[in-house]
Amino acid sequence: MSFRTKLFWVFLLTVLVTVSVVGYSVTYYSRAAFEEIDRERTEALVSQFQKEYVQRGEEIGRQLDNIINSELTLRTAIELAKPNADQSIFFRDATGIAQDHGLDFVELVDYQGTLISSAQYPARVGYKEDWVTQVADWHEVAPFLRREEMPDGSDLSLTAVRAISVEKKNLYIVGGKRMDRKLLASLVLPAGMRALLYRNLDQNFSPAQLIDATDTLQNPERFETLINQVRKQTQPVVKTVDWTGDAVDAETFHSIPLLGRNGETLGTLLVGSSRRELVLLTRKIVWIAAGVGVAALLIALILTSWISRRITRPLEDLAEGARDVASGRWDRHIDLRGRDEVGQLAGAFNEMTHTLAAQKERLVQAERVAAWRELARRLAHELRNPLFPLQITVENLQRARQLGPDQFQEVFNESTATLKAELANLNAIVGRFSDFSKMPAPQFTRVRVNEALRDAMRLFEPQFNAVGKPPVTTELILADGLPDVDADPDLLHKAFQNLILNALDAMPAGGALTLRTSERDGKVRIEVTDTGKGLTPEECSRLFTPYYTTKQLGTGLGLAIVQSIVSDHQGTISVSSEEGRGTTFRIELPQKQTNTLARLQTEETKANGEAAVKTAPVASEG
Amino acid sequence: MRFIALRWPAVNKRISALLSIFIFATAAFGSVKPRYGGALRVEFLAQTISMDPRAWKAGSRELGTNERLAALVFERLVLVDNYGRFVPQLATEWSHDGASRRWQFTLRAGVKFSDGSALTAADAAAALASLLPEGVQVSASGGSLIFQCAEPRPDLLELLASGRFFVFRAQADGSLLGTGPFTLDAAAKPEKAAADGPSAATAAVFHFTANENCWAGRPFLDKIEVAYGIPPLRALFDLQTGRAELVELAPEVVRRANQSNVRVWTSSPLTLYALRFDEGQPQAANEQLREALAYSVDRSTMASVLLQKQAEPAGALLPQWLSGYAFLFHEEMDLERAKQLRGVLPANVAGGTSPLRLQTEMTGDLAHLLAERVAVNARQAGIAVLPIGKTSATEKADLHLFAWRISSLSPEEELRMMAKAAHAELSAEGKLSDPERRYAEEKKILEERKVMPLVAVPDYAGLAANMRDWQASAWGEWRLADVWLEPAGAQKNAAPAVGSGARP
Repeated sequence: MSFRTKLFWVFLLTVLVTVSVVGYSVTYYSRAAFEEIDRERTEALVSQFQKEYVQRGEEIGRQLDNIINSELTLRTAIELAKPNADQSIFFRDATGIAQDHGLDFVELVDYQGTLISSAQYPARVGYKEDWVTQVADWHEVAPFLRREEMPDGSDLSLTAVRAISVEKKNLYIVGGKRMDRKLLASLVLPAGMRALLYRNLDQNFSPAQLIDATDTLQNPERFETLINQVRKQTQPVVKTVDWTGDAVDAETFHSIPLLGRNGETLGTLLVGSSRRELVLLTRKIVWIAAGVGVAALLIALILTSWISRRITRPLEDLAEGARDVASGRWDRHIDLRGRDEVGQLAGAFNEMTHTLAAQKERLVQAERVAAWRELARRLAHELRNPLFPLQITVENLQRARQLGPDQFQEVFNESTATLKAELANLNAIVGRFSDFSKMPAPQFTRVRVNEALRDAMRLFEPQFNAVGKPPVTTELILADGLPDVDADPDLLHKAFQNLILNALDAMPAGGALTLRTSERDGKVRIEVTDTGKGLTPEECSRLFTPYYTTKQLGTGLGLAIVQSIVSDHQGTISVSSEEGRGTTFRIELPQKQTNTLARLQTEETKANGEAAVKTAPVASEG
Repeated sequence: MRFIALRWPAVNKRISALLSIFIFATAAFGSVKPRYGGALRVEFLAQTISMDPRAWKAGSRELGTNERLAALVFERLVLVDNYGRFVPQLATEWSHDGASRRWQFTLRAGVKFSDGSALTAADAAAALASLLPEGVQVSASGGSLIFQCAEPRPDLLELLASGRFFVFRAQADGSLLGTGPFTLDAAAKPEKAAADGPSAATAAVFHFTANENCWAGRPFLDKIEVAYGIPPLRALFDLQTGRAELVELAPEVVRRANQSNVRVWTSSPLTLYALRFDEGQPQAANEQLREALAYSVDRSTMASVLLQKQAEPAGALLPQWLSGYAFLFHEEMDLERAKQLRGVLPANVAGGTSPLRLQTEMTGDLAHLLAERVAVNARQAGIAVLPIGKTSATEKADLHLFAWRISSLSPEEELRMMAKAAHAELSAEGKLSDPERRYAEEKKILEERKVMPLVAVPDYAGLAANMRDWQASAWGEWRLADVWLEPAGAQKNAAPAVGSGARP
């Protein structure tokens, strides 16, 4: 993952997490605030309902007081107090009383608890209403909820009772008003709120018993679970009803049980509060958070692009510079300014490349001096050998002038022969140096490496089993199907020759020479292994230096030529050796030569001149 | 066997003599002489009225009103007086064979319809032929009518003296002509009554005019205005405020009328309120359920409290005054017995989830009150009864609360029609003339308890103080031909007179 991508994700996640936390916090506290307001409004509405309830109860009580204080009621009580009173004449009285006093329910009950007249259920006359006789003073009892039996079922009533006594015989007036939508309609409802009343009159939940103020209640059956829960627990219950699947239409209902005189749940007040405002606000917050998130995404893209230009571009320049340095451009300079870490890094990089370039220059100069010294040493060494016989010979000739002619002639002939031979030797030495300096540029063609190895081996076959010399056994382990390589066959042949010759020189007492080819990592590997005395690690490290040799008569140019050829083929050569066990030279050649590299190689060769010393990757495994 | 009935003129002479003495006596004490003229305003509760006896439905609550109005225009062959004696009207004499299968009635001569045409035996035969029950055929023979019965009909006189058996002539335009003391003003169609309040939209008025050609003489009244469809309280109010002289009173306002010192006329119990199990419903087949329900019903409270003693508990189908044996059917409420019977029944029979649906087959507060009381009584025995309205046509009812208005003086005919209406089978169809067989049949019906009588309610009427010589029979006939109106201002010294007075 690139730094830019990492930076993008870090920035994006940071913004998203921040937005999410802020959004959640705002939503949480908004919801908490709404629920607090909702709770307060519900409490206010419940308080209002209780106030209406109390006022209505007081009104019923006043009406009943008016009834018992009327002359008609007094006469009725007097009549009923008489022995064998005809109660049937009062059968219709309750209806008239209810109409006159605006009550929905009125019943007259005598001192024995017998129903004398009923406005709401005349057919029940004659039956017992014992409960009214069980309270000594009904004035002390606040109006209460009561289930009124009706011809078509039952109804819920806010009921009060009053009694008038004649000769210690009470006549009870039971009056009440229906708990219906009139009570709900009297409530002042805040926006978004509504009040429902469930009259708990049936054994099971009945949708018809759930009413609202406007008779527009829809889907009352959806309240069944809530109502049943309140009926069962007789405790307030809060529940949210999702009407349409859209949370905007959901309502939270606070259900308050309404109890009768004996603690039975006779009704349930449901205060509904719309969640529309809260949901819309929450949605708005979510949308804003989403917008901020999207904006953060865009900003992250823009910022990361900008920051990456500010941060990764210098890093990329540094990386490219490092690659340039790796490829040999040690003088690479990064043009960066700034005092930040990247600027400091760039400065350090430039300082490093500057130092490396200077050190390289010094190293090259040192190597060049060393090479010249080595060359001078080798030249001195090479030239001193023939020069010394020349000097002796010349000195012999000078001394021979004192000899007789015959002797002089003999000495002269011998001396001139020696002089010729040594001069020829000098000429040969100069020729070898000349050849090394004239290494031609490779002319690439497809070459079969195995065939090239066999050709090289074939040249040395007479020497492997020469008479009077220790025998050298050869072994060719050549890989089948070895791919061809782009190479100059003559140069490649020359490199193989040098390596084989080098191996033969390393085995003066005979031994085994093994040539092995293989394919590895798309390259062709050639290994030349001898069983000679081996090399020291120091020898291994200097082995490819021109004019360095461990042999008495070597020029020190053989392996340098091999290395030069391998390098011209974009290959590598390495040596691994173990003292007393032998040495292995390993060449790896690419199958294809890139034109650019080949051209550059050629041009470089030409530019550097024939005397230039080529460098190639050398690995010492010894 | 031959009966020679008293001829009306002879009776008239005797009564006239007696009346002369009576009038003389009362005049000595300041009473007022009958006077001609005036319009009597009558109000009925019935929502619909039919003047065509052929269209009347047996047992319907409007039957009494229809008969009373028809009696103004039409006449019967015979009448029954308040002492139970048969009195000639259009027939002057009658006879029958020993088996009571063949009856012969001699028509009164000189009787004319209101259009002046003479009444013939053929007219009477044609009218009665369309009204007579199955098995009785009538034919004209000279000035006589011959009734031929498939079974012995000793009750034929009672039959012809009551109910729908009026003599009329059907006109080509569908109207009916009668020989009675009044004629229906044909030109005047029923008009909207001059009544205020919610009843005004439905109330309508018939106008009757005195028939100058009536063979029995012109009635005292010039006109009778009949309004119908009047709500009970409105009728009482109209009577009290002088907007009507004669009003039909609903039972529930009778006590109020009495308390207001209104003159109230009461008939014998004429309308029976009863329960009937629906044969088509499975609950009807449960004998124990029927018995439990029968024991749970408190008829006494219904009569004494709900109807404020304006009705009688009914244990029989036919009232005592008609059958003579109704007192033998007396079923008391026995709640313990009812609970015991209910207790052995499965809980889902007439339980809370599948109550007995009780449908009232008539409108009115009284019907609803009785149905609700049945439900309350049944609930005490553990039987769930759900009253449903008459309009609940889509609901199948298990029980029906129905009312039956007695109209015939023939107990045989009345029991037959009542049994038919109650879907009860009579095993001795042809022998109901025997009182013992009638009793046995009725007992069998009642013991099945598929029909349960509840209460029997009389007819009530409120009478204005200035309406004099009011005469009505115990079985609900109003004889308005003898009524006259006392002028305003003369009422102070007028003594209430009921059942006296006659046309000259």
